[in-house]
Amino acid sequence: MTIKLYDFELSGNCYKLRLLMSILKVPYEVVPVDFYPGREHRADWFLELNPFGQLPVLQDGEETLSDSGAILVYLARKYDRSGRWFPDDPATMAEILRWHAVGDDLTSTVSAARLVLGMFYDFDLEKAQKGAHRIFRIMDEHLWFGEKDGRDWLCRPAHPTTADIACFPYVMLSEEADVSRQDYPALRRWTDRVRRIPGFTVMSGIFPAGPAREAQAAS
Amino acid sequence: MTLSIDDARWHPIASSDDLPFRHVFHGQLLGRELAVWRADDGNVNIWENRCLHRGVRLSIGINEGGELKCQYHGWRYANRSAGCTYIPAHPADAPARRIQNRTYPVREAFGLVWSAPSENAAFPDLPRAEDRAWLPLRPMPVNAAPEDVAAGLAKALDAEGPHGLTVRAGDAVYFVQPVDSGRSVIRGLVSDPTTDTIPLLREKNRTLAKLRDRLERSAARKPAPAPLQPTYEKVSAELATMPDIAVPHGGTMIVVVKRKWQTARGVTGFELADRSGSHLPTFQPGAHIDVHLPTGLVRQYSITNGPGELLSYVIGVKREEVSKGGSHALADTVREGDLLTISEPRNNFPLRRDATRTLLVAAGIGITPILSMARFLDKSDLPYELHYFVRDADTAAFRDRLDVLRGKVTVHDALARDAIRQTIGEALGRWSFAQHVYICGPGSMLEMVRALAAGLDWPDEAVHFEYFKNDRVIDDSSSFEVELARSAMTLQVPAGKTILEVMREAGVTVLSSCEQGACGTCMTTVIEGEVDHQDVYLNESEKRANKAIMTCVSRAKSARLVLDI
Repeated sequence: MTIKLYDFELSGNCYKLRLLMSILKVPYEVVPVDFYPGREHRADWFLELNPFGQLPVLQDGEETLSDSGAILVYLARKYDRSGRWFPDDPATMAEILRWHAVGDDLTSTVSAARLVLGMFYDFDLEKAQKGAHRIFRIMDEHLWFGEKDGRDWLCRPAHPTTADIACFPYVMLSEEADVSRQDYPALRRWTDRVRRIPGFTVMSGIFPAGPAREAQAAS
Repeated sequence: MTLSIDDARWHPIASSDDLPFRHVFHGQLLGRELAVWRADDGNVNIWENRCLHRGVRLSIGINEGGELKCQYHGWRYANRSAGCTYIPAHPADAPARRIQNRTYPVREAFGLVWSAPSENAAFPDLPRAEDRAWLPLRPMPVNAAPEDVAAGLAKALDAEGPHGLTVRAGDAVYFVQPVDSGRSVIRGLVSDPTTDTIPLLREKNRTLAKLRDRLERSAARKPAPAPLQPTYEKVSAELATMPDIAVPHGGTMIVVVKRKWQTARGVTGFELADRSGSHLPTFQPGAHIDVHLPTGLVRQYSITNGPGELLSYVIGVKREEVSKGGSHALADTVREGDLLTISEPRNNFPLRRDATRTLLVAAGIGITPILSMARFLDKSDLPYELHYFVRDADTAAFRDRLDVLRGKVTVHDALARDAIRQTIGEALGRWSFAQHVYICGPGSMLEMVRALAAGLDWPDEAVHFEYFKNDRVIDDSSSFEVELARSAMTLQVPAGKTILEVMREAGVTVLSSCEQGACGTCMTTVIEGEVDHQDVYLNESEKRANKAIMTCVSRAKSARLVLDI
């Protein structure tokens, strides 16, 4: 039975799952949910699937799952034969989940500001933008020292993990929240690296990067 | 010290490490946003951060190694010159070549990338800077006025100064980059201890982060200064317009033969560079230059360069057994260090870069434009296939450049005509949407490919070749009057004579080369009158524009023609 993704095209949280499923080459079907302007995620039929009224929801056989970070872990553990996207090592797991939480903080800051500017939500714009810059500062510092130490990704393994997927969309969509990334050069370089992961896919507002040296050497 | 948009000094705007392979850095200096990128040849480009087309930030564009591609509509700009090399909806060369983005001065020193609003200011002299290796600290952006940041930095580090926006403290030196009136970046350099650098970098970063927090708290208590208002000078009409036709300026330049070598039996390579070492005008794959030979002849040679290679043009010259003297003059008498006059590049053989598959077919010296095309497609990872036919393996030119291509490149030597036909037929295959073939070689080869392609449903517009010869029958039965505006002469052109011949008889010196309407050397601007075009050099829209004439074959439909000569 095919996986069903209850999806809103412009949602960064739904895109996290489309991105990982594209990288893992997992086929799935999309059920569009009209988040804006239809507010279909508050409709009775959707609340049956997820009483919290949040996108995305993923159905795989008997399982009905919600929360993008949780579903990333599910997909990685079930469909990633390499075992790299969510490895077994306890400290690495904790590290990844720590960054999943940063992904949620980006939802409540960058995404909130984006909803104010793009979909007329009534949130505190300035507070959301300030919060976004605070997170970006920490991420840039973490990634800058990572580069100096030979670490290209958010967590310790020498390859990307679900942590990178969980944080990527709302970093890339920050311009739509009027949060510039100009002051975060290491964060910008990390987005190049994520966009060069084989199997990477785009969404509205997220452009591809040019080919990397590795890809050139391989072809 | 008050910060001014006219501050002409050099400031660091990035670390060298901020420009890794194929990345575009987003910077800002004195209110002006910058797109900063390193090309594969190591050159650093600092450009105004907007595409000349729709103003989209080039910092979100794609660094293709020799060109920067705008993310929005795919306009491409060349390394070094920032000349627009390609407009997807407008693939002819002439219009694109005139469009150029604004560039800013660049220096790379001490692990930092520096810029200034103009080249006028002297590069800052750091006393004893060359004595040691420098380690750039993590840049620290601060939302506070640059002069306040410099003062706060001097105070916190117990250093004298600041001197302008520079603070020296012990063996460290800090530069405050004036991003805008209320925004700064602290860029520090310390003596590189070579081992255990990370603890040192972390310690300095902690100190600067604390200072940043303090400076931002104090800046928040003051009214925010008005952001600088850089005036974006309009790009001159000459650089930004897209004319229907490149009216000939007769623009020539003098180049020096930097290198001359045997690239294959019977083929000499020439590398032509600007005398002062600066870059040459941008070109597109398929473009050629006119070379004015010491004998007075003018000959066309295709540029073999890849994208963004503008420090020299490389051409290949075949020594023809039967020659009017062109190839002999170049191959035998011109030496390294000699000066030659060449024209600006012109393209009659434009390459589309929106094809799903491109087939390149070259025979003999026809490899020269095809090589340039392959190198452009290669750099952009576009799918192509190259078939190069030569009589003997040792006559295959530019092998070193072909060998590094990653596409499917096959050199076929000593194939019989039927085998060539079969090879090309198989390579063509039945046409499908957005496939294009480009052929350069002798006339018989062009005809063979055209016939094969037509038989495999390839439409005319998918089959591209360059005329070196005009096969049309010239109708010279008209007679008319020609006025030479600048020479103040009126001449009668009778039936049976060309405008060129009549002008020469009247003592007017006019350049020409093929004299059959194929090369474009005698192209002249038309001021008045209606042209009867009989050449194969101008395309249909250029002919309709009625702004230029090949005086060697074309004539007048009107009774009188006024030329800019």
